[in-house]
Amino acid sequence: MSGAAPSARRLVPGIRPGDLPGAFIVLGMAVLVVLGPSLSPLSATEFDPLHALEPPSLAFPFGTDEFGRDVFSRVLTGARPTLLLAMAAAALGVMLGTVTGLAAGYLRGAADETIMRIMDALMSFPGLILAMLVVVMLGPAPINVIAAIALVFWPRSARLVRSITVDLATREFIEAARSRGESRRFILFRELLPNVLPIIVVDFSLRVTSGILLAASLAYLGIGVTPPTPAWGLMVKDGQQFIEIAPWLVIYPCLAIALASIGTVLLGERLRHRLALPGGGRMR
Amino acid sequence: MNAIGQLAPPVLDVRNLSITYGPLRAVRGVSFSIAPGEALGLIGESGSGKSSVAYAVMRHIKGQATGTVRVDGQDIMTLSEPALARMRGRTAAMVYQDPMSALNPAIKVGEQIAEAIRLHRAADRSTAWTRAVALLERVHLPHPSEIAHRYPHQLSGGQQQRVVIAMALACQPRLLIMDEPTTGLDVTTEAVILELVNELRRETGVAVLFISHNMGVVAQVCDRVGVLYAGQLIEEGTTQQVLRTPRHPYTVALMRAMPAIGGPRRRLAAIPGRLPDLRTPPVGCVFSPRCAIAEATCHDVMPELDAAGHAGSTHHSRCHFQNEIHQRLPPEPLMEEEAVTTAVKGRPRLQMVDLCRSFRGRSALPFLRGPAPVRAVDHVTLDIPAGRTLAVVGESGSGKSTLARCVAGLIVPEAGDIRLEEAVLERLVQRRPRPAQQAVQFVFQNPDAALNPHRTVAEIVGRPMQLYGGLAGRALRRRVIEQLESVKLGERYLDLYPREMSGGEKQRVSIARAFAGHPRLVICDEPTSALDISVQAAILNELLALQRRHGTSYLFISHDLGVVRHVAHHVAIMRQGRIVESGSPAAVFGAPREAYTRALIAAIPTLEPRPQPVSLPT
Amino acid sequence: MQALGFILRRTLLLAVVLLVVSLLTFGIVNVLPGDVATAVLGDMATPEQAAALRERLGLDEPLAQRYLAWLTALLQGDFGTSLQHGQPIAPLLMGRLGNSAILGLLTLTIAAPLAVALGIVAALRPGGLLDRLIGAIAVGAYALPEYVIGLLAILAFSIWLPVLPGTSLMDPNENPLARPEALVLPVCVLITGMLAFISQITRASMIQVMASPYVRTAILKGVPFRRVVLKHALPNLLPPTITEIGMYLGYVIGGLVVVETLFSYAGLGQLVTNAVSYRDVPVIQATVLLVAAAYGIGNLLADVVALLLTPRLRA
Repeated sequence: MSGAAPSARRLVPGIRPGDLPGAFIVLGMAVLVVLGPSLSPLSATEFDPLHALEPPSLAFPFGTDEFGRDVFSRVLTGARPTLLLAMAAAALGVMLGTVTGLAAGYLRGAADETIMRIMDALMSFPGLILAMLVVVMLGPAPINVIAAIALVFWPRSARLVRSITVDLATREFIEAARSRGESRRFILFRELLPNVLPIIVVDFSLRVTSGILLAASLAYLGIGVTPPTPAWGLMVKDGQQFIEIAPWLVIYPCLAIALASIGTVLLGERLRHRLALPGGGRMR
Repeated sequence: MNAIGQLAPPVLDVRNLSITYGPLRAVRGVSFSIAPGEALGLIGESGSGKSSVAYAVMRHIKGQATGTVRVDGQDIMTLSEPALARMRGRTAAMVYQDPMSALNPAIKVGEQIAEAIRLHRAADRSTAWTRAVALLERVHLPHPSEIAHRYPHQLSGGQQQRVVIAMALACQPRLLIMDEPTTGLDVTTEAVILELVNELRRETGVAVLFISHNMGVVAQVCDRVGVLYAGQLIEEGTTQQVLRTPRHPYTVALMRAMPAIGGPRRRLAAIPGRLPDLRTPPVGCVFSPRCAIAEATCHDVMPELDAAGHAGSTHHSRCHFQNEIHQRLPPEPLMEEEAVTTAVKGRPRLQMVDLCRSFRGRSALPFLRGPAPVRAVDHVTLDIPAGRTLAVVGESGSGKSTLARCVAGLIVPEAGDIRLEEAVLERLVQRRPRPAQQAVQFVFQNPDAALNPHRTVAEIVGRPMQLYGGLAGRALRRRVIEQLESVKLGERYLDLYPREMSGGEKQRVSIARAFAGHPRLVICDEPTSALDISVQAAILNELLALQRRHGTSYLFISHDLGVVRHVAHHVAIMRQGRIVESGSPAAVFGAPREAYTRALIAAIPTLEPRPQPVSLPT
Repeated sequence: MQALGFILRRTLLLAVVLLVVSLLTFGIVNVLPGDVATAVLGDMATPEQAAALRERLGLDEPLAQRYLAWLTALLQGDFGTSLQHGQPIAPLLMGRLGNSAILGLLTLTIAAPLAVALGIVAALRPGGLLDRLIGAIAVGAYALPEYVIGLLAILAFSIWLPVLPGTSLMDPNENPLARPEALVLPVCVLITGMLAFISQITRASMIQVMASPYVRTAILKGVPFRRVVLKHALPNLLPPTITEIGMYLGYVIGGLVVVETLFSYAGLGQLVTNAVSYRDVPVIQATVLLVAAAYGIGNLLADVVALLLTPRLRA
């Protein structure tokens, strides 16, 4: 009809078969984030020189690394530093982007210009490069990685929300609210926000994927995490030198990254589909 | 023309055409034919299936079609894809509703015409181009050889539609299908396009299938008319027969709902109820649930499309009582003229004093300079008395909507005053005190966009009461229900979202919201132009009733002179930001002083064919 | 004429953006709560060491003055001195910029047309077998970081089936084109990532274009399907797609950093990751700026090409 997306709350009931693969993977990952360390059979960090570089077996399902640490336990424990980070960064970035995008898109004029030029400047750095620079300067700590990735997402989310807000702000129901004498806050948060919300939900789900990829890439480059933290990207980096004699050192963490990001992509795609958003928003 | 028509084989012969979109039965058993050189109009409101029929003739629909469609003797339902491509554009060509989007933005218009000629006539490049230029001249475009090199966005809406018509005529088709070709164009542009169609019909002898919702437009062009309702052809005959002596209650109802510019002022009659659910259409007469004269048989037995009057008549109607309709239907109610003519003494409710507002154009690309500023409202001074309606009439770009938004405080005028009962109002609505905000309310054109899709009816209508009256809880709910009942919606609408309602219902909610805070002035910006005629009548009646009940003043913006004549106490004609003429409707429409007003009135498509072409003063 | 004006203004904007980028880069390095000296020396450094380094880098002078000095030097081609190598940075950067450019341009020239073609093919029958296949591969390729794809490729093509070198280890001054076999895997990995994204973007806009009224006009004019796609849809599809590709360059650059590190390819990406592990702040700062400039210029070029392909705006 008018092209407006259905409200988020009407979506929740009615799960369809197509949603299941993504939902299951994401659910499994959530369980790992919460329970990962306590599910691991062995310690993720303790050395065991007697069992160094053992191939996968019943005792060590994913094999062991050069220090004899159980790769299976490390992969389970590694979910938290990778996934929690990505989610936190996506949440922070999308939240900042929503507020700035709404404000810029509705207020227009000088405020819009100033905000969007700053966003443009942030966007003129390639994402990974910006994150890298920020983490290097802030020092290696999970909170710094979150801040850096959120800084990458912020301008992108702001741009998206702004473009939708600009379009919505010309709709007559906003004119109706203004002519009624509603306050700016009412219009922004009571009239505009519910209409932007489905798009934000989808944007968030896509950002989580990007966040996983960015965090994993940073870790692989050795930025933001310090050994012996079992982050998946770092495990790949450290295992790479043994790729010819012990490929399991890279294969299992790679699979974990792949599974996590594919799960979030699938779920995000389903969400986008459900909310009937036009394509092209994918993978941003 | 009819004599020839009955001898020669028809150009288009549609037999028993049915179209379904999934469970939706959009078109059921439609049959008609068009003789060479003949023009048949198909009239219908939204949901009647008229566009589906038009595109089915070109075999370009998403749904499933059954029946036969013969174009120039060929059954297009069985054609192969290449044969279909040869038919399209050569035997039958199409003219579309929105010419701007129907033309390819990346291709010069001359090339778009020449392409068709090259494809179907195997002409070389230069011959095709020469012929394209000739065609542009044929549709009376100035400087055709120069226009051929332009891109669509460099042309006006009327020029674009001429290009589309030239493209359709490129290969001298036998049949021209026109799908609402003038909808969205200004009335003066519409008149010249219709005149062009008539001229081309006379000179090329092309047959026309003309789809429209506007009976006046169809009357200007067509020899015969068919009326579609809920996917069925319910009446068919010559234009004179159908529009003068309709034999189906639906056609009669449509005529009675249509506001006219001439003749005595009637009360518009709305059609009660709504379109039947096309997934499970009624077993009997499809119109019976809304029909004023329906009897038991009507609900049980579907009438056939039978000859009306005597056997062998060219006039057919799908009604059991087709020969006694006029005895059975109640007479048309007239309106008392008295209410219109009495002048109101005393201070005006609203005054616009010397308002001015101009706009800077937007450039096509970022980083480029835009065009020069345009004066949208240019020294406008107007008054509205208490309880009266001032209608501002103009074509697109006349500045009438900008004027309305200046009064509402949505757009800030550069100069001039707005006075509400002689108190000067702040220019920006947010700066006005609550009582002033409450006093002026707005009803918008597009009911889809005017309601927040994420709010229920209760929230939408209740909001002004909360804001202005501080109502809450049960008291609020009771007032909302009262308010809904006053626009003939009930309690059951409370928890609906806008998308769950029809266009007319949404507009009623909009009106309920505007009246929720007891306004003294309501600005109506084209409140019915997005609605079907039958719904429009109901909304206009509602607005008139509310005005009588509450003594509200209206600033009524419209492009439709018929609607304006029906609701206004005072009319102002606006053109290029200025008021060119104003006065009582009787004076302005009966004895217009300005040439522009006369041209505007002459351009209105009435049920009478126009004797001579309309010319627009420059 | 309009196009020329556009290019001029757009170039001016790029200059402003680059200035802001230099300011931001400098700001992130010098204003963020981390201290440069600590970032370089690590937490183990004694206060004396830190003070000495601060003096060597001129960190004790006022910020504005340091920024201006850095910027004027930059404009004269002086990127400062590397802490790790003790050499001027500029020559170090230039050779590696060339190597990275070879990798990036190779990727772009192969992947961009291929991705657009795949997107169009997928869009012609949305929901068809080909569309679903391309879509599934795209989702997979998108969801995997470059190094995962790269490592799988190394395992497959240089360890289990040793046909290609698993590393492009080379001297920074060596011409990578001299050993084309070392380029195959890195380029393929980068292409995969790009195909995933651009093909899906193209698919979405192509579906929209094919559903537009002007395509309907062409079909009902009797234009054969092939010609509808090539002459009526494509001219409207390409300009926005090229703009999208320009924006995607940022991801290509990110991919370059990872792939160069993975294959030990002597480009800017490898330089910057090395600099990160040695905390060579001047090199990081210079590389980031150079990369942002390359991204900005790439974007500008894409915008200009898009404009030139839009006849109604060129006129």
